[in-house]
Amino acid sequence: MSTVFSALDTTRSGLGVYRTWLNAVSDNIANMDTARRTSDAAFQARYIVAKADDGGGVHVDSIAFGSADGRVVNEPGNPLADSAGNVRYPDIDLSEQMVDLMVAQRGYQANLSVVDRVRDSYQQALQIGK
Amino acid sequence: MSVIGGISAALSNATALSQTTSSVPKAGSAAAGANTFTDTLQQAISGASGAQNKADALAQQAATGDLQDVHDYMIAATEATVSTELTLAVRNKVVEAFNQIMQMSI
Repeated sequence: MSTVFSALDTTRSGLGVYRTWLNAVSDNIANMDTARRTSDAAFQARYIVAKADDGGGVHVDSIAFGSADGRVVNEPGNPLADSAGNVRYPDIDLSEQMVDLMVAQRGYQANLSVVDRVRDSYQQALQIGK
Repeated sequence: MSVIGGISAALSNATALSQTTSSVPKAGSAAAGANTFTDTLQQAISGASGAQNKADALAQQAATGDLQDVHDYMIAATEATVSTELTLAVRNKVVEAFNQIMQMSI
C-alpha cells in the first residue's frame, strides 16, 4: 500500500540490508586470521543474500557461507598445529572484503541521502501557498 | 455572475461549513461515506500521534542500548516531525479560512 511515507519505508529497508552487510564484512575481517586445527572446519566467511520485497523495498533473505576448507598453512610453532605442523586459516581475501566494505558503506550513504531528499521534498510541499 | 450572485454563493458555502461545524459533537458516530472535516482532522492527528509514539519507543530503546538500527530512530523521528508539520499546516489553513469568513463585512 502506498502511503505518505512509502519512500521512507523503502529506504529504511535498504539501510537495514546495508547495515547487515557491514556487520557481515566486519565479522569476516575480524576473523581473517582465526586459526583452527586442521581437524576442524575453518571460519566461514559470511555473505548476505538480499531479496527484493513484493511491495517495494528489500530484505536480507539468507546468509551464505564461504569455504569451510579454508587454506592449510604450515606453522609448526602454532600451538594448534597438527603432527605435520599445519593449521587451517579461513579463506578470506582482505582486499575483497575492503571492496565489499566500501560498496556497503556507499550504499548505506546513498540510502541516507534519499532520506534527506525525501524529507526536504515533503517540507517543500508544506510550503505550498505560503 | 453578478456580484449579488457571488455573495449568495459564498453565503451558501458558509452555511454548509457551519453545518459541518455543528456536527462536531456527533463526530464519534460518523456515518460511513459522510466524511466530515472533523474526521479527516482527527485521522491526521492520530496519525501524527502514532508516529510520535513510534519515535518515542525507539528513543527509549536508544537510551537503554536496545536499539538495533540508528537509522530506524532517525527515520521514525523524521516521519513524526513531518506528520506533525502536516497536521499543523492543515489546522492553520482552516483557521485562516474561518477568520476570513468571520471578518467578512455584511
